[in-house]
Amino acid sequence: MVGPGILLVCIFVPIVGAIIVPFLGKINTGLRNISALVFVLISFISAACALPAALNGTPLVSSLELPLGFSFSYYGDALAVFMAMTSSLVAAIIVFYSFGYIEKYPNQNEYYSMVLLFIGSMMGLVFSTNLIFIYTYWEISAICCWRLIGFYRKEDTVIKANKAYLITVGGAIFMLAGFIGIYIQTGTFDLLALQGQGLDSWIVILILFGILSKSATLPFHSWLPDAGVAPSPVTSLLHAAVLVKIGVYVYARLFLVNFHLDVVWSTAIPIIAAISAIVAAGAAIVENDIKRIIAYSTISQLSFIFLGLSSGTMIGVAGGLLYILMHSLAKGGLFLCAGIIEHSTHTKDIRQMSGLAKRLPVTCVAFAMCAFSVMGIPPFGGFFSKYMVIDGSLLSGQPWITAVFIIGAVMTVIYLLRVFCKVFFGELSHPDIKEGTWEMVTSVAILGIMSLLAGIFINIPSQLTTFIVESLGRW
Amino acid sequence: MPAYFATSMYAFMGAPLLVILVLTLAGRKLAEKWALTVGYIVGIIQMLTSIIAIILLWQYNKASITFSQFWSIQANDGAAYFSADVFSLIALFCIGMVTFAAFYTAKTMIGKKAFQFTNLMMVMILGMNGLALVTDLFSLYVFLEITGVSSYVLISINRDNKGLEGGFKYLIMSAIASAFILVSLALIFINTGSLRYEDISAISSSWMELSNPILILVAFVFLICGFSIKSGLVPFHGWLPDAYQSAPAPVSIMLGGIVTKMVGVYAIIRIVSNLLVESDTVVNTCFMVLALMSIIYGAVAAAGQKDFKRLLGYSSISQIGYIILGVSTGNILGYIGAIFHFFNHATFKTTLFVNSAAVEQQTGLSDITKMGGLHKQMPITGTSNIIAFLSAVGIPPLAGFWSKLFIIIAVWQTNGAIIASIALVASIFTAVYFLRIQKNIFFGPVNEKFADIKEAVKGFKLTEIALSVITIGCGLLFPVLLLLLQAQGIV
Repeated sequence: MVGPGILLVCIFVPIVGAIIVPFLGKINTGLRNISALVFVLISFISAACALPAALNGTPLVSSLELPLGFSFSYYGDALAVFMAMTSSLVAAIIVFYSFGYIEKYPNQNEYYSMVLLFIGSMMGLVFSTNLIFIYTYWEISAICCWRLIGFYRKEDTVIKANKAYLITVGGAIFMLAGFIGIYIQTGTFDLLALQGQGLDSWIVILILFGILSKSATLPFHSWLPDAGVAPSPVTSLLHAAVLVKIGVYVYARLFLVNFHLDVVWSTAIPIIAAISAIVAAGAAIVENDIKRIIAYSTISQLSFIFLGLSSGTMIGVAGGLLYILMHSLAKGGLFLCAGIIEHSTHTKDIRQMSGLAKRLPVTCVAFAMCAFSVMGIPPFGGFFSKYMVIDGSLLSGQPWITAVFIIGAVMTVIYLLRVFCKVFFGELSHPDIKEGTWEMVTSVAILGIMSLLAGIFINIPSQLTTFIVESLGRW
Repeated sequence: MPAYFATSMYAFMGAPLLVILVLTLAGRKLAEKWALTVGYIVGIIQMLTSIIAIILLWQYNKASITFSQFWSIQANDGAAYFSADVFSLIALFCIGMVTFAAFYTAKTMIGKKAFQFTNLMMVMILGMNGLALVTDLFSLYVFLEITGVSSYVLISINRDNKGLEGGFKYLIMSAIASAFILVSLALIFINTGSLRYEDISAISSSWMELSNPILILVAFVFLICGFSIKSGLVPFHGWLPDAYQSAPAPVSIMLGGIVTKMVGVYAIIRIVSNLLVESDTVVNTCFMVLALMSIIYGAVAAAGQKDFKRLLGYSSISQIGYIILGVSTGNILGYIGAIFHFFNHATFKTTLFVNSAAVEQQTGLSDITKMGGLHKQMPITGTSNIIAFLSAVGIPPLAGFWSKLFIIIAVWQTNGAIIASIALVASIFTAVYFLRIQKNIFFGPVNEKFADIKEAVKGFKLTEIALSVITIGCGLLFPVLLLLLQAQGIV
C-alpha cells in the first residue's frame, strides 16, 4: 500500500524539477528534456498510485494543523485523483511533443522549467483543501502562463501575455475577496472544516469572477484566443491539460463537493454558459487563424462542462467530469496538430492552406480523430460525454437552454469540418513541406488513438466519474 | 537573562559611533580604502545581533529588554531609556539588511566620496537605530532629526543640480514636518507633564476629560500631519519621488528601503500602538483615509511613470499605505500584518532599488521606455525583479502575500468588506505597473543598442540573490511563522 507521501511526491517532483531543469540544461539538453518528461511521468504514476485508496473510500490525506484557520491538507479523493491523472497524462504527451517543436528556439531552459512548475501547481491545486493554498497554486499557474505565452519575446506576444496575466489575476483577486468573505464568516480557510456550508450569493459571484476568468468563459474569454501567439505545445497545455481546467476543477471542488449552492445558480450558470457557447462558436466560424478557431472552440466546449456540472443531475455532473477527460485528450491533440501544420507551413491562416493531407498524412488522421471527438461523433469519447451533459440538462428541466447547447454542438461540427476540409483537402498549397519530427507525430497519433479508445472502452472512465458523483452522496 | 545580553544591546548605538571615530582617526587614505567594507560589516553585525536578540527574548520568555545609555533606568520621572522588543529588533534587522545592501552596491557607484559617504551613513544608521529603541516622544524627535539631517546631505552628496533639488525639497518638507511634530509634542507635554510612551497611553483613553481637550485634538492633528509628511502619505507625498529619483543609487536604496519607513511608518506604529488603546478612534480613521488614498494614488501614479526610480517611489507610497492601513485597524492581526509588511517592504523595495541601480549602471539610462530585452543579458537581475515585484503585488507564495492577506483580513474584520475590497483590488494596479516595467526593461524584444550589455557586477548580483532568497524563504516558511506566533501566545 502507498502512504499519503505519494501525494507530496506527485506535487513536489515537478516543482523541484522546475528548479533543477535549467541547471541540467546547461550540462546537456538531451538530459534536460528526458528528465523533464520523467518528472511529469512520476507525477502521473504517483497520482495513479493514489487511485486505489480513493476508490476504496479511504482517500489519502497528509495535513498540517495551523492556527487562525490556516490548517491545510493534501487530500486525494477520487475527484482530485481523476483530475491529476488526466492533466499529468496529457501534459506528459505535450512535454514529449515539445522535444521536437521547441528545439530551435532560445530560452528552452526557461520553457521546460515553467512547464514543469505549471504542472506542479496544477497537482498542488487539485490536492489542496485550503482556500488560500488553492489561491496560491492558482497564482503560480498564472505566472507560468504569463512567461510561456510571452515565450517568443516579441512586442505583441508580451502584450498578449500581459493581458492574459492581468485578466486571470484580476479575476483571482476577486475570488480571493470571496475567500476572505468566507473566512470572516466562518473563521477558517480549511475546506474539510467547511464541508456542507451554504454560501451567500455575493461570495458565489466573487468566486465565479475568478473561475470564469480562468476558464475563459464569456465575458472574460478574450485572453484565450490571444494566447494563441504562444508556441503550440504551450497553447495545448493551456487549453487541454492545465490552465482552463483549473477553473472547471475549482468549480467542481467548491460548488459540488464542498459548499451547497442556491437553486438560482443552477439556472444562472447554464445561461452564462449558453451565451458563451453560442458566441464563441459563432466566432470560431468566422475566424481564419487556425489556432484562434480551436481556441474559440475551447471556450465553447468549456460551456458544456459548466452546463453538466451545474445541471444538478447525476448524469449531467458525471458527464461534465467525463467531458473534462475527453476534451483534454481531443483538444490537446487538435492544438498539437495545429502546431505541426504551423511548424511546416509557417502560417496560421487557413485560407492559405489546402491539400495538406498529401504531405501530412498522420497529422491529418490524428486531426480528424480529435475533431470527431470534439464534435461528438460516436464512437469517439466526446460523443458520450456530450450526450450525458445534454441528457442531464434536459433532466434538470431546462429544455430551452438545452436547445441552445444543441445548436452550439451543431456549430462545432460546422467550424471543425470547415477547418478540416480547408486545410487537408483540395489542391496542394505547400508542395515542399514535410511531416513534423517523430516526437511530434507520435504525440498527436497517441492523442488521436486515445480519443477513440476512450470512446470504445467508455465503461472504464465513466465508471470512475459515476463513482465520483455517487461518493458526493447527493443523488 | 544573562547580563551580557543587555550589554550587547549597546552595540546598536555604539558601533556606528565607533566607526566614525576610527575612520576619522585613521587618516583619509586608509579610511577611503576601507570605509565601504567597514560599512557592510556593520550591517552584517547588526543583522546577526538582532536575530540573536530575538531568539534570546523568546527563549527567556520576555517581552522586551530595557537598558539605558547614560543614566540609570531607576532615575527620576521623565528619564529617557532604551527598550528593545521584537518589533524594534525586526526594525533593527531591516536596517542592518538595507545597510548591507547599500554598502555592498556602493563600491562601484560612490567612488571618491567613500569616506564622507560612510560617515554620513553611520550618522543615519545611528539615528534610525535610536528611533527603533527609544521609549519617549522627545528622544524620538531627536533621532528623527539626526536621521533627517544626514539624509539631506546624502541625497545631494554628488553636488549636482538634481541631487541638490531633491535634497532641498526633502529638507523643506521635513522642516515643516518637524515643526508640526514639535508643536504637537509641546501640546501633549502641557497636558501630561511627560512624553514617555507609557504615560501617554495612560491619558489617551481619557483625553476628552482633560482640561483642554481641544489642545490634545490639535496635537493629534499636528502629529498625524507631521508623520504623514515624513512617511510620504498622500497628500503629503510631493517630496518623496523627487528625493528617491535624484539621490545616488546607494542612497536611494537606503531611502527607499528603510529611511522613510523608520522616520515615518515605524514612528506611526509606535505612537498609534501607545497612544490609542482603543480602536476606532479619530486618529485611526484619519490614518485609514490617508492610507487608502496613498494605496490608490501611489499605484495609479506609478503606472504612468517613465523613470525606474521615480516609479519605485510611487510604488513605495502605495505600499506604505498598506502598512498604515494595517496599523489603523488597531487589532492584533493588523499589527502583525503591518510589521510583517514593514519587513517585506524593506526586502523587496531594496531589491528593486538595487535592480534599478544595476540597470542604470549597465545601460546608463533610467528611462524605462528606452530599454528592452535585458533579461537575456541580465538574467539574475531580471529574475530577482520578477520575484520582488510579485511580492509587492501580493502573489503567493511570496512573503508579500501573507502580510497583505493579514492586513486585509484585519481591515475586513474592523472596517467592513468595502474598504478591504478597495485595498485588495488596488493590487491589480500594482500588477499593471509591474507588468509594464517588466515588459519594457527585461521581457520584451532585444534592443540592438544594448546587445553587448553584461550582467551586473558581483556586488549587485549577490545582494539581489540574497534578498530574493529572503523573500521566497519567508513566504514558504509562513506556516512556521504562524506556529511560532501560536507558541508565543500572540494569536
